[in-house]
Amino acid sequence: MIILPRGTPVKEHLNPGRVQLAEALLKLKNNGFSGYLRFLYPAGEGLVVFADGRLISALFKEGADRHIGEAALLRIFATAFGGRGTLDIYRLAPELAESVYALLQGEVLYRAQELKLIDIRTFLERLKTDRLSGCLRIYTSERVALIFYRDGSPLGFFHDGASQIETSADVSMSVARLPGAKLDVLTSGTTPETIPGDLLSYLDVSALWQAAKEQAARTRRERQEEQKRSRVRQEENLRAAMLEMLREIAGRHIGRIGPSLVEKEFEKLPAGAPFESEGLATFYSGLGRAAKLVAGASAIKAMILEMQQGVAQHLEAP
Amino acid sequence: MDWNVFQVLLWLIAGLVSFSFSLGNARVWTSIAVGFFLILLGELIPQAIPYLPGHTIPQIQMMGHIIGTIAILAMTHGFQEYYVFSKTLEMEGRRRYVYLTTAVVVCASLGFVLINPAPTADTVRLVQVVENTNWVFLALINLDMLRKIYLNVKGSPIARGFLAFMAVFLFIFLWKGSALYIQVYGLDHLAMHFPFRYNFSLLVGHLGSILASLSVGATFLYLARLLR
Repeated sequence: MIILPRGTPVKEHLNPGRVQLAEALLKLKNNGFSGYLRFLYPAGEGLVVFADGRLISALFKEGADRHIGEAALLRIFATAFGGRGTLDIYRLAPELAESVYALLQGEVLYRAQELKLIDIRTFLERLKTDRLSGCLRIYTSERVALIFYRDGSPLGFFHDGASQIETSADVSMSVARLPGAKLDVLTSGTTPETIPGDLLSYLDVSALWQAAKEQAARTRRERQEEQKRSRVRQEENLRAAMLEMLREIAGRHIGRIGPSLVEKEFEKLPAGAPFESEGLATFYSGLGRAAKLVAGASAIKAMILEMQQGVAQHLEAP
Repeated sequence: MDWNVFQVLLWLIAGLVSFSFSLGNARVWTSIAVGFFLILLGELIPQAIPYLPGHTIPQIQMMGHIIGTIAILAMTHGFQEYYVFSKTLEMEGRRRYVYLTTAVVVCASLGFVLINPAPTADTVRLVQVVENTNWVFLALINLDMLRKIYLNVKGSPIARGFLAFMAVFLFIFLWKGSALYIQVYGLDHLAMHFPFRYNFSLLVGHLGSILASLSVGATFLYLARLLR
């Protein structure tokens, strides 16, 4: 999970499947937006960072897989068509957005350290000695605060609801005091001078959107076909199990000819809904009529009763 | 009691049982049961002639033999249908068509007899030979067909009924076969020269007829019990 403070909310809890994402990104670019868009999907999580209208980072994490740039945007778009997910948009100051970008490029030195087990004073002195450039992420399940460092000296704080780096440590420290608070130590992967240009200036985002749309349609089609195949397989398995059971019962009640009579009547069951009451009634009636040639009414009645019970059990079974 | 009357009584019971069986069971039994019922008519007419008015009329004697021939043809057709069903599981036709067709064939035969000159004793004897020939060979064919049917429906409630029918046709073969033997060799005329052959054939014929009539009635009662 990409843990970031929420910044100043622009929009929250949008359904990305109902947003023309390509148009939305271009609109944010044209408006000189700074901040980030966070996409939460069942399959993964995406993050798109803007600074002064430049799309400087796109990231999509899907389990252990990590996509960046064009591939990330494609995955974010394609997954949005699944219809299940949320999109939050938060505004940040441009320099904070760039810091967030730097953070995304960096590495995690320590992850999920229990704050109450750490000697903070010693730890901060060590950061100074090691001349850390990066940030400390302090978080609980509800709240997040970042403390940015450059060359071991604190630059400022970023916490939920803020849109720029602040110098007051109050809120960040209040997160640290919350029960269960944890700490990540992240190094910064870039300096402000290495912030990339605008991804949207060389990516045809509309074409990407179209490609994602086609990919999503293809995926949906494949999923539907797979579901259909799976349904057919299940139906075939059920039919085979049912036929075997009916053959066995018929063989016991009316002898060697019984299984053949069952097969003959079974073939007449409708393919789409073979075990609906109407189809089964026709089956029993046809079987009963044919069985009259080799057995009496009581034997046939007992056979059909056992078959009805067996069929009901098969249909009830998960 | 007269030997012939005793046999007629047994066939009367067998015929009535088989006819009632044809009414209450699956269509495939209709031809078979009607065939066995026709034996009653085929046997009753010639056997009972001495006790009926008009026993001297040769057309009536001839009709007895013709109906006897229709009887074996009808029941063979029935067993053939059953065999086809046991192999293909397909069954066609309606009960009333079987009754209707049999009635039409009997009426057509009667018409044939009536529009032709009155049959002589030789003609009646010839028709009887034809009847017995049909019975003998179709009894053998039916024995084989019943064996195959039994194998196809083995394990079903009715399967043993076909074994009983095999016994019926074995008795019929003995009954009609001995009659045919007597007729073909003219033993009834040469009885003085071959008394043992003639008397033995006669005994086998009577015994076969009694056992056949008994087994037909018993088989249908057994079938009715199996098909309860």
